[in-house]
Amino acid sequence: MRDPGLTAAPTVDHATVRVTFEYVAWATVWLLVGTTIGLIASIKLHWPEFLPFAPLSFGRIRPAHTNLVLLGWGSLALVGLALYVVSRTSRVPLWSPRLARIALWLWNLTLLFGLVTLMAGVNRGPQEYREWVWPLAVMLSAAVLIDGYVAYRTVAARTLTEVYVSNWYILGGFCYLPILYVTSYLPFYQGGLGNTVVQGYYMHNAMGMWFTQLSLGVSYYAIPRLLGRPIYSYALGVLGFWTNLLFYPLIGAHHFIFSPVPWWLQSTAILFSVGMMVPVWAGTGNLLLTFKGASGALHRSYALPFIVTGLIGYALSSTQGTIEAFRTANIYLHFTNFTVGHSHLAMYGFITFIAWGAVYGLVPRLTGREPSPLAVGVHFWLALVGVLTYVIAISTAGILQGLAWVAGQSFIVSVIAAEPMWLWRTIGGLLMIGSHVVFAVNVWAMRPYPVTVPVSSPDPVRMPA
Amino acid sequence: MSFGGLHTNHRAIIAVAVIVFFVLTLVMAILPALREQAFSGPPTTTPRDEVTARGRQVYMREGCGFCHTQFVRDLPVDRPFGRASRPGDYVLEDPPMLGTQRTGPDLADVGTRQPSEAWHLIHLYDPRAVVPQSVMPAYRWYFVEKLQAGPDDVVAPVPAGSAPPGKVIVAGPDARALVRYLLSLKQAKVSP
Repeated sequence: MRDPGLTAAPTVDHATVRVTFEYVAWATVWLLVGTTIGLIASIKLHWPEFLPFAPLSFGRIRPAHTNLVLLGWGSLALVGLALYVVSRTSRVPLWSPRLARIALWLWNLTLLFGLVTLMAGVNRGPQEYREWVWPLAVMLSAAVLIDGYVAYRTVAARTLTEVYVSNWYILGGFCYLPILYVTSYLPFYQGGLGNTVVQGYYMHNAMGMWFTQLSLGVSYYAIPRLLGRPIYSYALGVLGFWTNLLFYPLIGAHHFIFSPVPWWLQSTAILFSVGMMVPVWAGTGNLLLTFKGASGALHRSYALPFIVTGLIGYALSSTQGTIEAFRTANIYLHFTNFTVGHSHLAMYGFITFIAWGAVYGLVPRLTGREPSPLAVGVHFWLALVGVLTYVIAISTAGILQGLAWVAGQSFIVSVIAAEPMWLWRTIGGLLMIGSHVVFAVNVWAMRPYPVTVPVSSPDPVRMPA
Repeated sequence: MSFGGLHTNHRAIIAVAVIVFFVLTLVMAILPALREQAFSGPPTTTPRDEVTARGRQVYMREGCGFCHTQFVRDLPVDRPFGRASRPGDYVLEDPPMLGTQRTGPDLADVGTRQPSEAWHLIHLYDPRAVVPQSVMPAYRWYFVEKLQAGPDDVVAPVPAGSAPPGKVIVAGPDARALVRYLLSLKQAKVSP
């Protein structure tokens, strides 16, 4: 089968280049802000009197951290990359980069207002990832819809008959997120435990129906492009798309196991959490098998190690999530820091590493400028060692908390048990932030030239003619 | 290879995906939520007075729910926190704050477990004055330091060393409301 990932035109129009880069650059800004806030929150757990000011109090910066890294860093980086992928795989320039730029500013404005209001204590209560007030939700939905429309019009104008599998995932993500977001904010069915049912649905699907969609969409383009060979199986990619759509929305209630929300909803959630192994392993297997016989490329490319790490992170975090959904595991692990380890393995070990790999793999091709390979290496190892330290420490903290509770000890015993691990979590976090600073320097090194010049692809792996 | 012609038709891909996701949203979120909202059993909590409602606002503003659940599972491990939570416990809650993390203990029944107003005031002003190993933030911005308490002032009886020398710690209106809210968190008795 002809693979648009391989046959994309060698030159890119300057407007698409600039807007993609602007998304990546702003994502990097939010990454730095969001993770610095996360580090402050982490320090407060072993040094509670650190920065004792109301706007920086733990309960206020916790949602600021999650929203900025999810909607600022992860979303903006993947949207920027997705818009580029949509344009490349359709072999047409991006439809209206101007509109995409307007959407970017709407994102930025929403994130800024979100940061300020959350730190001021203006929120909707501890409803994870939908804490900020509804006008900001309207702005964010508008930004996503504009981006989605730009992507849609670009795919509609494609010069190929087929819709490449990347675009299934990307267009899917742009369709699901507005439905998800609006459903989570509309109040008509959220009285009493109705709110909790929606919370489980929302917080879970935000991952699988948005971040996973865009990450896989970008990966299905970046991997064949970087390896210079077609994807292992187009059919497996499509199978992953449909099974993800069928299973993922069914499993949100596994965040409220043993709660008074209906038992059938919890059981369905546990059952299909197991079902999720189909799309997860179909997707990971498919993308990893594309590397078969091309391991040399892995050594020569500085982008591919990030992507391979991200794929391993996808398989590990998803399998871990399935195990956590079981009722037995819930008794020992629910409410503990183990959940925090899981979410970081997913958002960082999977989504963030895929985004970094795609940035390093694709952006130099559009701007014609490369970062120093040494700096990319430093970024990779700081981030990898950092996140491993983080996840191992915080998961251990979770297990220790769970054991203390099951042993029936006084609650404070679980705090004392976890505290040394919280210090290790901060150490991991420091390494991660160090890697983000290096990444920011590298992004700056990849900035586009100010004027239009014909771009030659500086391929880490030479493309077959 | 063909997938029912879908792979050449972007409109069809989007239409099928949107319809499937919307139907699943309806079945897994909106309809079950409507059913829960229509819960017709008696509420097991009482409506709040103005001060308690203000206290709940402070609880939300400070994000207390990110570390404290209000959700007791029907498991031996949750027994110290009270009886298992029931739908009736949340009927009057907007939003209900079941929570997902227990960095601190569950608070569904804290008013029964710790009924002392003085304890809560000290704990909010300086958590480590009452629980030395606590990692909870101190909410000093809801208190005022005074040389002498006025006739209507509610004093937080903090131990020596917690407050600056020669000063008394007076609870502001938000601190008083928050404590009133915490004391109101009592699980109603229900027949099993």
